[in-house]
Amino acid sequence: MHELSIASAILDRVTAAAEQNAGARVTKVGLRVGELASVDPDALAFGFEALAKGTALADAVLEIEYRKRKQRCTACNLEFEPGEISSNCPACNHADTVCIAGKELDISFIEVEGPPCA
Amino acid sequence: MRVEIEEKVLSENDRLAQQLRERFCAHKVFCVNLISSPGSGKTALLERTLEALPRTARVAVLTGDIQTENDARRLARAGFPVKQITTGGTCHLDASMIIKALADWDLDAIDILFVENVGNLVCPTSYDLGEHAKIVLLSVTEGEDKPLKYPSIFAAAELCIISKVDLLPYVPFNLPQAIANARQVHPGMGIVETSCTKLQGLTEWLAWLERRKTCAIEERANQM
Repeated sequence: MHELSIASAILDRVTAAAEQNAGARVTKVGLRVGELASVDPDALAFGFEALAKGTALADAVLEIEYRKRKQRCTACNLEFEPGEISSNCPACNHADTVCIAGKELDISFIEVEGPPCA
Repeated sequence: MRVEIEEKVLSENDRLAQQLRERFCAHKVFCVNLISSPGSGKTALLERTLEALPRTARVAVLTGDIQTENDARRLARAGFPVKQITTGGTCHLDASMIIKALADWDLDAIDILFVENVGNLVCPTSYDLGEHAKIVLLSVTEGEDKPLKYPSIFAAAELCIISKVDLLPYVPFNLPQAIANARQVHPGMGIVETSCTKLQGLTEWLAWLERRKTCAIEERANQM
């Protein structure tokens, strides 16, 4: 439900980045969204499109790279994608594992067209 | 042309949360962020907590809702400073709302700041408020599989309060399974069982607060 606020934060940041490349048109915004980020990619794309309408980013498309959750076992250092029910280490069944990926909510890049930056 | 950005989407919120963290540290305020589904008993827990504290306790509450001042009215009866944050539709509190709400409060007069987030298990997890600890409530009228359905908040919370345990005889809630599910998602998480109508578990909850407050203030002083 908070995808609209997330989309708005993306729009603000990308608008600022685009202004540094004056005259350029943003064609693509690259995002990284983790499984644990509590963000639905479709709802985010919908919110972005709605907010971008009528702005300099109206033609920009979102490219979302979805990251699966990954844990690392503190006993044997195995890195693994946990199952739905258990985040125990699949190798040694150790319960103490730490999350090393899946929380991402990042703007990774933008693509711009138009007057090259001088 | 591709331009690398490599920034967190919520970096502006993170920046403001860091400001809050520094202020809490400077003024020795211990801040907890209470998160749960609507109706799990965040306000009831805070009511009983405030009533249990001595009148001289230096505590304050910020309570978030989409609409109404009802929670602030309920909490203000205990006589401590309470402020309602009405988000007007937004489903979570963010750091800027906390900064605004604290603007006219003297942080030197506060030892513990309770933030009651908007009832929602999803979105509040993403917004750092500069708090020392997130606390998640799970009531026994919900499903024991909630930790598995909403792993983000259970992974982020330091303490899970299982509320309304006086209703256990009347509901099909499997308490050992709920605890196992919570520990599955977050092995080290503390768990306290409470009932706000029968006043169970409050001593344990208050002891957790006191213990956590002491070590948080020390930890942060060392970090900064």
